[in-house]
Amino acid sequence: MFNQFEKNLRRFFEKSSTHFSKGGRFYKFHPLFEALETIFFTPAIPARCPPFVRDGIDLKRFMSIVLLALIPPLFFGIYNTGYQSQLSGGNDLNFFNIIISGLLTVMPMIIVSYAAGFFWEILFSVIRKHPISEGFLVTGLLFPMTLPPTVPLWQVAVGISFGVVIGKEVFGGTGRNIFNPALTARAFLFFAYPAKMSGDRVWVAVVDSASTMISAVSGATPLAVTALLPSFETIESMLHRAGFTLSTLFLGNYPGSVGGTSALCCLIGALILIITGVASYRIILGGVAGLLITSFLLGIVSTTPLNPWADINPLYHLAAGGFAFGIVYMATDPVSAPGTHTSKWFYGFFIGMLTVVIRVFNPAYPEGVMMAILFMNLFAPLFDFIEIRFRVSKRIPNV
Amino acid sequence: MKTVKIKKGWQFKIAGIPSKQLKDCPAVSIVAFVPDKLPFIKPRLLVQKGDHVLIGSVLFEDKKYPELKFLSPGCGTISDITYGPRRALHEIVITLDSDEIFETFEKLTESGFDQIKRSSLIDRLMAGGMWPFLRQLPFRQIADPDSLPNAVWVTLGSADPFQPKAYVYLNEQADFFEFGIKVLRRLVDMVNICRYDEPCDKNNSAANRVTHRILGKYPASDPGVVLYHTKKTAAENQDWYIDGQDVIHLGKFFKTGAYPIDRIVSFSDGSSKNSCHFKTRTGVCLKDIASSPLNDQHKINDPHKRWVVGGVLSGYTSTRDAFLDPYQTSVMVMEETHESELFGFVRPGLKKISNSRTVISTFSAAPLPINSDMHGENRPCVNCGYCAKICPVDIMPQFTYKSIDADEIEEALAYGLLDCVECGLCSFVCPSKIELSDFLITAKHRYHKEINQVV
Repeated sequence: MFNQFEKNLRRFFEKSSTHFSKGGRFYKFHPLFEALETIFFTPAIPARCPPFVRDGIDLKRFMSIVLLALIPPLFFGIYNTGYQSQLSGGNDLNFFNIIISGLLTVMPMIIVSYAAGFFWEILFSVIRKHPISEGFLVTGLLFPMTLPPTVPLWQVAVGISFGVVIGKEVFGGTGRNIFNPALTARAFLFFAYPAKMSGDRVWVAVVDSASTMISAVSGATPLAVTALLPSFETIESMLHRAGFTLSTLFLGNYPGSVGGTSALCCLIGALILIITGVASYRIILGGVAGLLITSFLLGIVSTTPLNPWADINPLYHLAAGGFAFGIVYMATDPVSAPGTHTSKWFYGFFIGMLTVVIRVFNPAYPEGVMMAILFMNLFAPLFDFIEIRFRVSKRIPNV
Repeated sequence: MKTVKIKKGWQFKIAGIPSKQLKDCPAVSIVAFVPDKLPFIKPRLLVQKGDHVLIGSVLFEDKKYPELKFLSPGCGTISDITYGPRRALHEIVITLDSDEIFETFEKLTESGFDQIKRSSLIDRLMAGGMWPFLRQLPFRQIADPDSLPNAVWVTLGSADPFQPKAYVYLNEQADFFEFGIKVLRRLVDMVNICRYDEPCDKNNSAANRVTHRILGKYPASDPGVVLYHTKKTAAENQDWYIDGQDVIHLGKFFKTGAYPIDRIVSFSDGSSKNSCHFKTRTGVCLKDIASSPLNDQHKINDPHKRWVVGGVLSGYTSTRDAFLDPYQTSVMVMEETHESELFGFVRPGLKKISNSRTVISTFSAAPLPINSDMHGENRPCVNCGYCAKICPVDIMPQFTYKSIDADEIEEALAYGLLDCVECGLCSFVCPSKIELSDFLITAKHRYHKEINQVV
């Protein structure tokens, strides 16, 4: 049966390819056809230059591994979104209901994100006459996972459009962007529509079955709950009182963005990425080290609870908020990260450090990791420049 | 003996590594000289179609350096001279006589050798067609006889298991090898003999002369790689190098007074049954090597096969009717696929060769069959750094390639463009299927052309 399917599929593409090849009716849409065809069939292209043996990896496989690593936080995100929604709505907490409710909230976001993003991708590749790149498969999934579940779908579309067009295509497309497109999109929404992106009323979506409208109820995130901390209370006890123990934060079973709450799932994803060698372990470990060291030092320095997040056990920083998600999936985007080894350590370290600094000194931006990564994206070429200069100076010149 | 350990590179995991067995090739009726692959040589033809030549008769000389002669690998009638694009000399085909006669050159005895001067030795090598085997880094051109390099590097064996093994060609040739080394010593004070780590016959005196023992993965044995990891000053960049088999030829040339034409070639068709070493001659037709009666005729004659000469990763495509060029010692026949693969990118990859860890086969050491497919389409560089991770001479090909693309040749040179050993690993690992090594080699050649321009 499978062989029959393969045969039919092959015949279908062969038949339609005449319309899309040079001189055909739809030649303009050749990139679209090609993208579709290559999803099903890895084309056989003989090598023209030496070496005549080529590695079995291609960009599709590379990006599919990232998608694979995104599956744990995605599934957990669907579950958690549904769970928080059912909990707040006072509904029955059986697994089936939770999943249905989660899917009803999350899937439309993902579909809109992919649809709007692919529209721009296709438009640009048709105009620029280049094949559609696989990078968007990741961007289009990453972006909705960083959003609060109550975000209106039109904002998802606007956000991803900004991310793809301004974040990537104006620079020349895949491989040439300065910032991570998914984070650019999120930053855009964060500043353009702050009411829908922050505060304590956006993190829990309740699916109202009567009207199928998604309405928001109050559900503070751990980063927001501590903003108004009475001075006599330690932050740990405050978090515990609000239900955020370290293990809750680690498992991720609390209100927050769709995919970013569970440090555990991000850890699984990180393992997949590191074992397959797709993401740089240097960035991830550097980031974790930067976060822990900075928060530890701040904890020593701050004597009075000047700011609640300065005094906390560093592990809370690691588990809370979107840091784990950001450092594993966003910071490791090879295009916007530096390409040299030592730079990657520094790049990761500074992301961790800045995250803590933003969380501690500027509680207005509770999601410090987004700002930290975007800021360090800007510095990635400088890191590369310095390290390359250093390496070149070590070489015995050969001219 | 120094040990040079090279960390970066690629461990071959390809099926069909030639066995140690040495088979004799059946006699052939046709050979050819292929000037195509001679680096930076402009041939001036000295023979024409229909001429009769002996083994060792001059066929052509270099226009820039007329003392540099190239000799006939066979005795017979020149049956064809073919030209490639832009009328570049492509092949000089010789139909062999049944009884072949050698052109005689002056022999050199041990005592006679002590009296000979360096300059007259060079003259003899040039006239005897032996000089082209000496090559010079970094452009890998034929060594400049007017220059005096710091050292000459002799390579015994290769990290590429598809190249001939040193102990196969050194077998019973130790005397010639010794004499060849002696000749090299006269030319250059320092002769470094590098042996790639593989069991070598202990009784063979060549084994005792080894100065550098090379450990590491492909392309650790390349003289450029060894030089990069051992050099102390920039003056060493223009060192010469020569392959072990050619050193034997040097010795043979002076001891016998005849132009040596025998060659040991490793042949592989991807199966363990047919892959072994063949004793054949310079300029042999590729299909004649493979048509040994032991080989599976049907498989070799398949038109959908790709013939690769000169190593799996650094070689070039040829055809079964082409002739072996004088530098190459390895022939490989591989599958050429024309069938696209359903959902290729999400398959676990049990049979896929990859240096990355994104396929299952990475976790086993079993050798895998290869084909000449790209396994993907060309995409923009995403700066994944795979090429920099594998480059044996730390070039950072992704940045070098971008600076070449931006016409910043100075920048590329500073990154170490000329250290490039042309191993092809950067192109091999690239997930975006960018022709990195082709890009770097072309830039190197362009630079060579520029600095050698007569103003």
